[in-house]
Amino acid sequence: MPPTQPQPKAKAPPPSSEYKTIAAQFAAAKRAKAADDAERAAREALEKEEQEIASVLDRQREALEAARKANYERRWWWTAGFWVWMLTMHVVGIGYFTSGFLLTRLVLEDKSVCAAPPTLNGNSNIDILPAWKGRGTVGGGCWHPKTFERAVIVVIDALRYDFTVPTRDNEAFHNAFSFMYDIALHSPTNAFLRPFIADPPTSTLQRLKGLTTGTLPTFVDVGSSFSGTAVEEDNLLMQFQDAGKRMVHVGDDTWESLFPGYFEPNMSKAYDSFNVWDLHTVDKGVADHIFPLMKRKDEWDIVIAHCLGVDHAGHRYGPDHVEMTKKLQQMNTFIQDLVATIDEDTVLIVMGDHGMDSKGDHGGESDDEVEAALWMYSPKSVFGRTEEEFAIPPDTAKIRPVNQIDLVPTLALLMGIPIPYNNLGRPIEEAFVGVRGTAWDNLAAAERMTAAGIERYQNSYFAARGIEQTSTPDSPPDLWAKAEALVAKRGKRVDWEAVYTAFTTYQQETLARCKSLWARFDLVNMALGISIMALGVLSLLVYTSMGGDDEGAIAYDADLDAAEKSLEMQGVKPDAETAFVRDQDKRLVRAALLGAIPGFAGGVVQSLLSGAGDWYRGAGFAALTSIAAVLVTLYDTKETVLNLRPKTVWGWMAVVFTLAPSIGFASNSYTIWEDSILLFFITTFGFVSALAALRLPSLADRYLSIYHSALFVLLGRLASFSKLCREEQMPYCTSTYYASATSSTSAPWQLVIPFLVVMILPPIIKAYLVPSRSYEGLAPTWIGSVFRAGLFLSAAYWTLDAADNGNWLPDLPANLLKSLSVYTAQTVLAMALVAGTTAFVWAPPCVSIITSAMKSGKAAQVTVLGYGNAHGARYLLLPLNLLGACILLSKPMGGGALALLMWQILSLAEIIDLNALAAASPAIGPVMLAVLGSFHFFKTGHQAVLSSIQWDSAFVPLFSIRYPWSPLAVALNTFAGQMVATAAVPLLVLWKVNPRRKGLLGAVSRALGAFTVYFAVEALATMMWAGWLRRHLMLYRVFSPRFMTAAVVLLVVDLFGILVALAGVRCNTLAISEVFGWAE
Amino acid sequence: MPLVDPVTMSSSITKGLKSKASNSSIGSSSSTPSPTKQELQPVQTKQTPSAQAARYGSLALLTGVFLASFPALIAKSDDDVERTPVSAMRITLPVVTAIQLGYALLCLPVAGSSSSSSSSSSQQQHHASSGGSKPARKLVRPGEKKLKSSDGAGGPNVIVASLLSLLLTAFATIPLYIAMILFGAPFLTHVPHTLVCAAHLAALALFPLFYTHGVETAAWAQIASFRAPFDETFGGLVGAVVGAWLGAVPIPLDWDREWQKWPVTILCGIYGGYLVGRVVGGTLVFGKRF
Repeated sequence: MPPTQPQPKAKAPPPSSEYKTIAAQFAAAKRAKAADDAERAAREALEKEEQEIASVLDRQREALEAARKANYERRWWWTAGFWVWMLTMHVVGIGYFTSGFLLTRLVLEDKSVCAAPPTLNGNSNIDILPAWKGRGTVGGGCWHPKTFERAVIVVIDALRYDFTVPTRDNEAFHNAFSFMYDIALHSPTNAFLRPFIADPPTSTLQRLKGLTTGTLPTFVDVGSSFSGTAVEEDNLLMQFQDAGKRMVHVGDDTWESLFPGYFEPNMSKAYDSFNVWDLHTVDKGVADHIFPLMKRKDEWDIVIAHCLGVDHAGHRYGPDHVEMTKKLQQMNTFIQDLVATIDEDTVLIVMGDHGMDSKGDHGGESDDEVEAALWMYSPKSVFGRTEEEFAIPPDTAKIRPVNQIDLVPTLALLMGIPIPYNNLGRPIEEAFVGVRGTAWDNLAAAERMTAAGIERYQNSYFAARGIEQTSTPDSPPDLWAKAEALVAKRGKRVDWEAVYTAFTTYQQETLARCKSLWARFDLVNMALGISIMALGVLSLLVYTSMGGDDEGAIAYDADLDAAEKSLEMQGVKPDAETAFVRDQDKRLVRAALLGAIPGFAGGVVQSLLSGAGDWYRGAGFAALTSIAAVLVTLYDTKETVLNLRPKTVWGWMAVVFTLAPSIGFASNSYTIWEDSILLFFITTFGFVSALAALRLPSLADRYLSIYHSALFVLLGRLASFSKLCREEQMPYCTSTYYASATSSTSAPWQLVIPFLVVMILPPIIKAYLVPSRSYEGLAPTWIGSVFRAGLFLSAAYWTLDAADNGNWLPDLPANLLKSLSVYTAQTVLAMALVAGTTAFVWAPPCVSIITSAMKSGKAAQVTVLGYGNAHGARYLLLPLNLLGACILLSKPMGGGALALLMWQILSLAEIIDLNALAAASPAIGPVMLAVLGSFHFFKTGHQAVLSSIQWDSAFVPLFSIRYPWSPLAVALNTFAGQMVATAAVPLLVLWKVNPRRKGLLGAVSRALGAFTVYFAVEALATMMWAGWLRRHLMLYRVFSPRFMTAAVVLLVVDLFGILVALAGVRCNTLAISEVFGWAE
Repeated sequence: MPLVDPVTMSSSITKGLKSKASNSSIGSSSSTPSPTKQELQPVQTKQTPSAQAARYGSLALLTGVFLASFPALIAKSDDDVERTPVSAMRITLPVVTAIQLGYALLCLPVAGSSSSSSSSSSQQQHHASSGGSKPARKLVRPGEKKLKSSDGAGGPNVIVASLLSLLLTAFATIPLYIAMILFGAPFLTHVPHTLVCAAHLAALALFPLFYTHGVETAAWAQIASFRAPFDETFGGLVGAVVGAWLGAVPIPLDWDREWQKWPVTILCGIYGGYLVGRVVGGTLVFGKRF
């Protein structure tokens, strides 16, 4: 602004007078001022106008940005809605199939009554034994003469049979617990020891049900092992209670949840059962309580003690550990001390409820898991042997085993109470055959009484189900008739041994029939579940195949964008086609919701009309119609599933890698060797991409691509050295995950791995960001410091843990190391998940803006470092955070495998980018990611079997079980591979993508679709095979666990796809667009 | 305000339009064939009666040798489980190599001869000739190693070419061995098994290629990226590789058969694939490309 003081334009003529001069000067000045003012006003007005125009433009731009943002958020919600719908479909499909597939058994409410032995109801009213004193009463024995007044039942959890017999080797778990064997060997009339075969599933809750009711388990119950539910069927404890016996319980609290209110409250003491970390509290508590009880014998009739130390030592260390030796020796002493307090009226029963596999876990049905031990002892000479050589306890569990349910009739008859109504077991012969082994009549009477109970139960079961029993030759009714005929003969010399054998045959045949009968499958529900899953896969395929607005292939065009923007500013809607594609998810969700209504109504009406009352069938029909509606909507789009027809070698690989494993699941061999098969696929992909790299025009790209392909293959092979073999893989597989094949702790050398990860992983990640100049913004701090520190703390955790397990520092106060390690773990999780998520949400893009003078020197040039990978670099922080948490929760070997997984994912992203596969074959990237995730599921020490779940991971960040954190920790440990892979799906789409790219949300959603298809196909295939092979020998060992794994993995992937991948993309796009403007 | 980022802008295009990325930075290195450069021509077998006889004879011989060795491969040997397939494969390896050598000498044009050269423009005329005797019209590229024979007077030296090809085949066994390990072959155990299997693959599939193409980088770049036209040699390679890949399929099955032993199935796949690939490559799909 020029100075305002008046400046005369020209020199005034010489003044005629002083006044005149001044007046003239003033007038001139005034004129000048006026002119100046006018000029200034005009300029100001102009500027104001300009400013106004500018501010209008600004406002318009802001409005446009806001509109685009709002539009994006709206579309995001619809996309998320679509995925929630997909998740729901999967839940319904899996739920339906499961409800028809898992074992079902009708639970009868009937109870046995003391005064009404089942033999009374039979056709013949004959008894084998002469009447005894107090018959039909608890005092004398309801159905059989009573032998004992009191019973002490000691359950040593996971007491495998070979722990108790002398074995000629130096394993830590052998020859440490020899007391029971010695007693049985030296005084066979006082004790016997036999293998005790559990019915799978071998979880404690299921076993206790079997051990008290005498019937077979249903598979569904295994899921409730975390909570436990009261037993309502007739069982031993119920009979004891009815007989007025006072029961005391010490130890595992599963008993309290199964039998609430049964135990004397002031004498009983329950301990938390899932605190696997704690080896001693429960056992010490049992010992502290049981010995005082032994001195107060008149205050109780039944004592149940449940020790957990052996089981916990198995879970925590595996059988081959010095702690296991110590634990077994402690049990040896405990039983020895207990025996000294038992009097003649008391029977002592020591048993394992199940065994443990080679790593100390259980749950499945492998031999090691089902082979427990049973030992019965009494100071009074009671037990006999039917043959001389049986006096020596069997060397292995394969010889002369008894079923666990056999304990039920045995104990009931010995204690003089009725056998529970649903029992299917038979009396153990040692307990009834007499000291000399000749009392066949007594044994036959016990056997017949039990068999009569079974027969009565069978009749009422068939009546309740409304089915006729078949009575073909050698069917149970036929066998029963034959055995009864033998009894009815009643000659002078009845061959009681033959009678016993006849009833035994009947019992065994009935048991076998029941096992196959209760493996009853509801084919309608199974078919419904499979249909829902199949249609779900189909709709996902069509959804994935849609090109969308396919901006992926369109390079940014500034003019076009400007034109679009100006059109939008003028309120012109985008053309119909774009809008159509953009609103795809919205229409799909609406169709899904609308489609569900008729199906739901139809299902409810159908169930009402049929009177079946299974209203939940509505959910199934709703799912079907909902998917149908979505498919119709999808059909409206021009492009259909034919799009998926592979056109390139990449497409073919995606198809083969998805279908081949799923077809292979029809064979137990391919299911067992899945890990090797996945490695084969990974290597195949790497080789093909290395060869394909030779076609790249640019030499630099070619070398880079070959380098990343080679890396991808080598890292996969390196990871494959981390192995946890399943039983069926033996002897062709050597486990390396733990210190040894019979351990569940890491070897000391494995502690090097986490420290290697600390040193190597952050620089590797940096090396992938530096070429695109993306190691900017938050990245150096987060990856170089925070992530590294987290990894270091994880390594420290596992070192502390090893020091605690190995007792390396014996002088430290107890629990110091454990507390230290738990707090370390909590710090890591807080850093990775809480701080990590916060940082990810608030982080600016990983770019750096530098301003430099242009050559001409007039204007400054602004250079944005990391612009080209702005989306990918920032998004990378999210999978890294998840990775940090997963590495902590996996064992050292697993942490190493996960680090390799991340490295492979980054290489994969580079390969995809270099070969431009996102446009050429969008499916291959996500499919390879799915293969990688599945592969690393195995490399983190898992197999598709229940017993490979690493329960001890619940105790990494916690001292004891706490909901919901403990199950979450176990889930993060179990599915770490798949979870990290899911979180990395958007990474493949966003890698090397600059902020101007449009349609990223659609691209991510479709990539997620291809990724999910892999797991959905897997779930569908395992479902179909498990249904088809439902009578296969390997059903519960191979096919059923694989189905359960696939089902859970699918749900986890769905959930993580929504909560991590989609939510992450939203945060990422918001943050990027905040800085660079909205491109969407 | 211009947003210019010299590093990343170029990389940002890569996602969409990869092929348009400038490749000006690529040096004028001779080993970089641009797509428009001369393409590899399919290798014709010599048309003389003896060559045709050797062509079919070698097929029969290979089949015969493999079938004859098969019982030894799957022999049940309780005393020395580790050895049997290896010793059988060791015995057949020189035989198979000799058959391949004979086949190459009699039927295939040697590297450096006109009909094996990638630059051949008058391909048709050479088929009838008793190839290999004419002086090669060869593009001599700076820095490229040639089979010595091509510089010799009167055309390539067949003996030297064969010996060099054998040597190259022996060297190529190592990368094939490593590849098998990467695909999941046992790492520390069964080393001789895998090694001999790799040697068989090299002798069958790679030797004829070495014989006809020498170490010509451009030819190998096309072969490795599967852009070469199908002929007997390339067809054999593709067949053997695919056969080896499929050969892994029956291994996991728990049938406990002797033929499931490592690496019998792979070997079967290699032989089967090679024979089929060679026949199909030489006839049905001759000259075609992927």
